[in-house]
Amino acid sequence: MELYITGTGIVSGAGNSSDDNFLKEPPTYNTGKLLCVEPNYTAYIPPMQLRRMSKAVRIGIGASKMCMASAGIEKPDAISVGTAMGCLADTELFLGKMIVQDEQMLTPTAFIQSTHNTVSGQIALLAGCYGHNLTFVQRGHSFEHAVMNTQLYLADNPHQQMLVGGIDELTDGSLDALKMGGINNKLNSTPADVLNGNNTGCIAGEGASFFIVTDDKPANRALCIKEVYCFADKNNTIAINKLEAYITNHLQDIDFTVLGQSGDAISNLTYQSLRSGLLKDTPQYIFKHLCGEYATASAFAVGMLANSVLRNEMLPTHCILNREAGEMKNILLINHYMHYYSCWSLQVV
Amino acid sequence: MKQAAYIVNTGIITAIGNDTAACLDALLHTKSGIGKAYHLKTHWSDELPVAEVNLSNEEMANMAGVDTRWPRTALLSAIAVKEAWQPFADKVKGLKTGFFSATTVGGMDLTENVYKAFKEDSTSVDFNNIKNHECGAITELVANHFGINDFVTTISTACSSSANSIMMAVQMIGNGMLDVAIAGGADSLSRFTLNGFNTLMILDKQPCQPFDNNRRGLNLGEGAGYVLLMSEKAIQQCRATASCIVSGYANANDAYHQTASSPDGTGNKLAMGNALKVANLQPIDIDYINLHGTGTANNDSSEGKAIEALFADKVPMASSTKAYTGHTLAAAGGVEAVFSSLSIMHGIVYPNLRWETQMEDVGFKPVTTLQQGLAIRHVLSNSFGFGGNCSSLVFSKC
Repeated sequence: MELYITGTGIVSGAGNSSDDNFLKEPPTYNTGKLLCVEPNYTAYIPPMQLRRMSKAVRIGIGASKMCMASAGIEKPDAISVGTAMGCLADTELFLGKMIVQDEQMLTPTAFIQSTHNTVSGQIALLAGCYGHNLTFVQRGHSFEHAVMNTQLYLADNPHQQMLVGGIDELTDGSLDALKMGGINNKLNSTPADVLNGNNTGCIAGEGASFFIVTDDKPANRALCIKEVYCFADKNNTIAINKLEAYITNHLQDIDFTVLGQSGDAISNLTYQSLRSGLLKDTPQYIFKHLCGEYATASAFAVGMLANSVLRNEMLPTHCILNREAGEMKNILLINHYMHYYSCWSLQVV
Repeated sequence: MKQAAYIVNTGIITAIGNDTAACLDALLHTKSGIGKAYHLKTHWSDELPVAEVNLSNEEMANMAGVDTRWPRTALLSAIAVKEAWQPFADKVKGLKTGFFSATTVGGMDLTENVYKAFKEDSTSVDFNNIKNHECGAITELVANHFGINDFVTTISTACSSSANSIMMAVQMIGNGMLDVAIAGGADSLSRFTLNGFNTLMILDKQPCQPFDNNRRGLNLGEGAGYVLLMSEKAIQQCRATASCIVSGYANANDAYHQTASSPDGTGNKLAMGNALKVANLQPIDIDYINLHGTGTANNDSSEGKAIEALFADKVPMASSTKAYTGHTLAAAGGVEAVFSSLSIMHGIVYPNLRWETQMEDVGFKPVTTLQQGLAIRHVLSNSFGFGGNCSSLVFSKC
C-alpha cells in the first residue's frame, strides 16, 4: 500500500524541523556523539509534564506534536512507533538505583517511564487518542516495521490518519556498549568522516522523527512511501547481492538515491561497491553526517526528504555525495544499521 | 477477501509446565505454579512469590539445543518455539514464514548482573552479558537458530505485547504476505521487573486472587507462549490439522494513565468490541472469556466493568489463568492464546483459582470449577498493559 506523508516533525542532532533554517547550513563538529539539539518545548508540552519527562519522551512527544502541527491535526487516528532501545535513560536510572540500594527504597517514576511503549503511550495520553497503538523494537528495522504496521492498519481501516515515528536516545551507558559492539567508535568525527571509512564503527547519534501518513492521496505536494523492503544478513556479499537486485529493479525510475553511509569501514565498502557500480550514473546523497548512526536513523532520512517536499525545496547541498539531482521525483533510500538493511522506494506526488 | 489464519500447533513453557501437554495437565488438575523464587536471586524472595519456570538456564539451553550464555528470555522463547515449530520445520519449503515475538525485559536478566561493574569499568565486563540486551536481539537469536527469516519482528507494548504479535501475524497471513507464522512472546523474571512492579505496590505477597473482592495484587511469572499459524495453502502443503482460527483482533488505547486503567475500562471496551466486529460476532456468540485478570484492584475492576458494559447481563463463562502462571508480561497474550485454543480443542473452561468473595463493583462471578465436555465455539482473550495498551483476540472453532 502507498502511504502519503502529510506532516513531519524531527528532533535531531542537526536541530529540529520547526526551525525555518533546519538543515540549511552544513554541520560543523568534531565529536564522538551527536546529541539532539532540543527545541523550546513550551508550545508542545505543559511545563509540569515536561519536568518529569526523560529525553526519549521529550524528543518523542516534541517531534510528534511538531508533526501533528505541520499536518494541521490535533490527534491522529492511530499510532505506530519504532524504537530499538526504548527509554534507556530511565531504564539505567532505575537499574542503577536498584543495584546501589540493594533493591530497597526505590521509587516508581523511572520504572514507569522505562517501558519501551512509553513514548507511544504518552502521545496517546496527551492527545486523547484511543486508537490502535503499537511499538516495534526490532533493532535496525524498528521504524521500518512501524511503517509496515501502518500499511496493515490502513488496509483494515482506510481513509484514516496515522502517526508513525522512529525514536532512539543515546546514553553514556549505551554508547559504551555500542563501542564494545563495534557500532560506534572511540574517535572524534567531523562531518566529512562519514565518507572516509578508515575505522571500525562511526559517530553515534540519536533522534526522533514522526510522520502523519494516510492512504488517501493529498491535494498538496507530498512524499509517498511506495514500498519498504527489509532484510537482515550478516554476510556482506549476500547483503550486497540483495541490495543490487533491489536497485536493478528500480534503477530506471529513480532521480536520485539517498545512502545511509556512516563512515564505518565495513559498511562503507558496501556503499562504495553500489556507488561505483549500479549507482555510478545516479545522483547520490547522504544524511548520517547530520543525525549520526542509530537504529532508527532511517526515520531521519525519510523525515529530511519529507521536510524538503513539504517546504518545496531541494535537499541541502551539503548532502550531495557526487552530483546534484535535476529533479526530486523518484527517490531510492538505502540504509543499514549493523546487518539490518532497508530499501525505500519513495516518490514525490 | 482475507485469508484465514489457522492455529495448527502451540508451544509453551510456564511455571506450570514445560510444554503444552504439561500445562494442560496442570490446568486440568488445578496445579498452580506460584511459589518462592529459586533461580531468580533477589532480596524479595521470601516476601514476594513468583511463578518461576523450574529450570536453570543451563537446563533450558540443553533442552533447546542452544548456547547457555543466552539471556533467559531467549531460552524460554527457544523452548516454546521449538515445540510449535519442530513438527513442521522440514515441511514448509517454499512457504513464506515469519516470526513475531514480543518481550519487555529482553536481556535484562544478564545485564542487571553486570551493570555495576559495567558502570565502573565497561571494559571489565564480558560483552556476552550485554550484547543481547535489546529486545530485538532476543528474537534475532531465536529466529536465526530456527532459520526463520522471511519476516522477523518484535513488539513491546508491555503486558499486551504478544497479543499484538499474534494480531500482526494474522494480518500478514490475511493479506497473503506470509503463509506461516510463529507468533507470541517471552519474558523471564528479572530483578528489574520485580522491583519495578514492587514500587508500584501492585504485587501480592500471597498467591494472587484474580476477580476476588479481597484481591491484593498480581504475582509476576515467566514463560513463553507461541501459536503456529498457517494459511489454508500452508496447511495443505504441511498436512497440518487446524485446531481453531484467529477470527478477531483489536488494539486500542485507554489514554488515561501510564500505568493504570481508566475506572470504566474505556480501552478494554474498545479492544473487546472491535475484536468482535472484526470476527463478525455478537457478544452472545462468545462462550468463554480468558480474562486479563491480573489480580490488581485496578485491572480487575476496569476489566469487569468493561465486560459488563459490553455483555450486559449475559456475561459468558470467564476466568483468569494468571492464578496458575502468574503474570508473564509480554508472554501473557501468547500463553493465553495457547490456553484459549486448548479450551476450544478440548471443550474445557479453566477454573479461576483461589476465588472466594464476589467483587462489590462487578456483578458476574468467574468460573471456579473445571468445566468439561462443552462445545466451545468462540473464545475472547484479553491482554491489557502499561501505556494504555489494550488488545483482545477472538479464537473460533473451525
